[in-house]
Amino acid sequence: MPPEFIDLPQGTLDLLILRTLSLQSMHGWAVSERIQQISSDVLRVQQGSLYPALHRLERRGWIKAHWGTSENNRKAKFYELTKTGRRQLEFEREAWEKLSVAVTQILEMP
Amino acid sequence: MLHDFLFRLRTIFRRHSAEQELDEELRFHLERQIEKYVASGMSRADATRRARLEFGGVEQVKGECRDARGIGAVEIILMDLRYSFRSLLRSPAFTLCAVLTLALGIGANTAIFTVVNSVLLNPLPYPHPEELLAARKNDSLPNLQDVQRQTTSFSSSGGVNIETMDFLGAGEPMRVHGAFIDAGLFPTLGVEPMLGRWISPAEDVKGGPRTVVLSYAFWRDHFGSSPRILGKTVNLSGNDYAVIGVMPRDFGLPKQTADLFVSLWVAYPSAAAERDVQFMHTYWRMKPGVTITQAQAELTQMDARLAEQFPDTEKERHTSLVPLRDWLVGNVRPALLVLLGAVGLVLLVSCSNFAMLLMARAVARQRELMVRASLGASNRRLIEQRLTESTLLAMAGGAAGLVVAKIGTSLLLALKPEALQRFQSFPMDARVFAFVFAISLLTGLVFGLLPARSATRSNIADSLRETANTSTTGVSRSFLQSFLITGELAMALILLAGAGLLMKGFLRLRSVDPGFNPANVMTMYLQLPETRYPKIPSQTNFRRELLARLNALPGVKAAMITDLPLAGNFVGHRLVIDGRPAPDPGTEPEVQTLSVMGDYFRVMEIPLLAGRDFLSTDREGQPLAAVVNQEFVREFLRGENPIGQRIDWARRDEPHEWMTIVGVVGDVKHSGLNQPVDPAVYSPYSQNDEAWRRWMTLVIKSQTPSAALVEDVKKQVWSLDSQIPLSDIQSMDDLLAVSVAEQRFNLLLLGIFAALAVTLAAVGIYGMIAYRVSRRTHEIGVYMALGAQPRDVLQLLMKDGIKLVLRGIVIGLAGAVILTRLMVSLLFEVKPTDPATLLGVALLLAAVAVLACYIPARRALSIHPMTALRCE
Repeated sequence: MPPEFIDLPQGTLDLLILRTLSLQSMHGWAVSERIQQISSDVLRVQQGSLYPALHRLERRGWIKAHWGTSENNRKAKFYELTKTGRRQLEFEREAWEKLSVAVTQILEMP
Repeated sequence: MLHDFLFRLRTIFRRHSAEQELDEELRFHLERQIEKYVASGMSRADATRRARLEFGGVEQVKGECRDARGIGAVEIILMDLRYSFRSLLRSPAFTLCAVLTLALGIGANTAIFTVVNSVLLNPLPYPHPEELLAARKNDSLPNLQDVQRQTTSFSSSGGVNIETMDFLGAGEPMRVHGAFIDAGLFPTLGVEPMLGRWISPAEDVKGGPRTVVLSYAFWRDHFGSSPRILGKTVNLSGNDYAVIGVMPRDFGLPKQTADLFVSLWVAYPSAAAERDVQFMHTYWRMKPGVTITQAQAELTQMDARLAEQFPDTEKERHTSLVPLRDWLVGNVRPALLVLLGAVGLVLLVSCSNFAMLLMARAVARQRELMVRASLGASNRRLIEQRLTESTLLAMAGGAAGLVVAKIGTSLLLALKPEALQRFQSFPMDARVFAFVFAISLLTGLVFGLLPARSATRSNIADSLRETANTSTTGVSRSFLQSFLITGELAMALILLAGAGLLMKGFLRLRSVDPGFNPANVMTMYLQLPETRYPKIPSQTNFRRELLARLNALPGVKAAMITDLPLAGNFVGHRLVIDGRPAPDPGTEPEVQTLSVMGDYFRVMEIPLLAGRDFLSTDREGQPLAAVVNQEFVREFLRGENPIGQRIDWARRDEPHEWMTIVGVVGDVKHSGLNQPVDPAVYSPYSQNDEAWRRWMTLVIKSQTPSAALVEDVKKQVWSLDSQIPLSDIQSMDDLLAVSVAEQRFNLLLLGIFAALAVTLAAVGIYGMIAYRVSRRTHEIGVYMALGAQPRDVLQLLMKDGIKLVLRGIVIGLAGAVILTRLMVSLLFEVKPTDPATLLGVALLLAAVAVLACYIPARRALSIHPMTALRCE
């Protein structure tokens, strides 16, 4: 029996974060909630990997952070995609699609 | 890439707010998550629990975020440093103990290393010192000049002999040290004068102009550093010399000190011409590319040629060249290396104590460490943190050690061991600082790592258990502690053994009978200038009159001799005995030759064993008389009656002037207490007039030692001749002390190191027992409540300590047997494995260590059982 939710494969977390942030800027908790929601609770992001990933992306210059006010009126750290981040997202999306097509082909071998 | 760099940079400068932001960001997440669970109907407590569980270790996440942001090594070190600094300041007693312990160990090491650095490692103060050689044996000027002319290995060579000269400046006549040199010496050493010029080869001839080059100190002290000194004249021993140069401040001869430099040919022509007056130290500069083997080979050939040409005097030359540095440091090297090794052991002992202090601190901070570890701090981070702390402490210890070393080196200089006399100071150069930095760093890392490893996360479970049940101690920690204590005791024992052996040797040396009674004997040196006292009668008149006046002083007995016992210098002459086949010329035995006047033997209390003392009738024109020592009889006249035998100096041409042995006196140590006695021949001043017999050392025995006596003697001398300087004023006791100064220096230093090591080891074992007692208070309370006797409790507490003491002493003894062999050259008549000494120091250390166990154990007995039981 497959588990209720799936741990993210190595390397895909960055792609998911970039994609999530491409819609609007949001804070870390919202990112994890959004991923979980959209994937219908299949994908669950561990905080232990989410925050280091956010800080890593910020360091690479793909996202940038600013402090703002959250939906519940608290001070929170919001992340948004930068221009290079957008390019990186396109690049990673293509790479992912190629990969998944290739994997699917192999799995559907007669 | 640029972005990455700027980002990292900003992180470093904004690290404070970055940390805060990270904190806030994570807290926000948690709170948001809790809110979510509450909204879904959970109780707040459950929501909090669940959110926290999901989140995992906050510290761990923070650490990974920091890593992700690229908070690099620098950042972590800065953070750890700040943390260490704060936590060290919070426990000043611990910090002070640790820093002091290390300051002593590192300071002592630095002091000795500074000396080793100056003496053994620093380059000699001459250009291209690697080209410079020294001859082991002194030589005469004619030989030196022949070699200079007939060899090709050397670019230059020169000789020097220090003689005292009388200087008549302002005030009292003074004795100064004149360097009698040949013109080759300056170019060989290669140091240019600061003012003027060197003595040229053209001036360095018999009858050449009287010129002098001054040392910096002499120029400063007597001519007020006058820049117009060149061309002025200086009166030396009755002659005027024109100043032609001044040497720079840091110039010095390799082994000796000189106030001024004159040509030997000009100032002392009679000695310069004598091939067998071999009194010059010679220095040689090899041409670039020539090896010492080649140079030595050429000199050996040259020796053979000289032996052929001058068979009478030069048959046994055996000139042997050594690099100048080896020649200078040859006799200090073993002592310095032994001291360096000893002080290294002291450092190890203080490092062990340092490690134990860190361990004790780790125990005291167990809760803090546990909390950090359960919050997710990684094993590596905990170790890094503790290493930062120990290194910080070690560095502070090193800095304090520099202060200790500075004081230590000035103390070493104040002790004035002869071998170090050519040094005015021991500068701390870059190499010394590098040394301090290196050993501090090493100490902090290595000795910080030992306890740090035993106090990390893997031990959390142990730690928890320990808090629950205080009567057990971590196994690995107690093993490490036992290991350190055993090591400390072993090293302390090795040092004690070394000091004990030196002490025994020193006592043996001091108990050597010098052959005379030094009590209340004052000595001073004077010399009759050749210009005014050319012949025996005028000299005899002066001497007789002076002694008469001195003996007239109340309670005073005075006499004189050419060279004092223990002063280390004397004149040697080759000897023939009447009626014996003469050995080949140049191979006759050499004996010590001394002149005396007055009741020398009675003043010095040297026993007359046979025959008679000199009489006032043994004077010029009368049959020559001689008194010999026991060793002379033992060596040359064994089994014969020495009285009446005739002896003379080996001569080439003139007919023998036989001296008749009239008496035999006891042996006197002339070269030092640890040196064998040479055969000696004493003759009366009034029957000899060689130049060196114008040297005189007054020996004056009084009822009580008194400074006033010196002034009385000066007055009497100057009432006879106001231009004769008096120098080397010292008591015979002082001379005796000086003659063993080097041994005392070694003993004192090794003694201090041993005392330091024993103290530190005692503190270490005391600390261990005290710590264990405090951990077992509860247990002790139970025992005592159950009726245990104080004896039983003491036994229980001291058992472990005593076991360690015994183990340490056994290992130390084994180490001592191996290591003390290295110091055999420093010992006088003591075997390096002297069983009595080893046993003695082992007992001493055992007593100290057992006492160090007993005191804290004893304290446990005063605990009231009820208090002890309640103490948890």
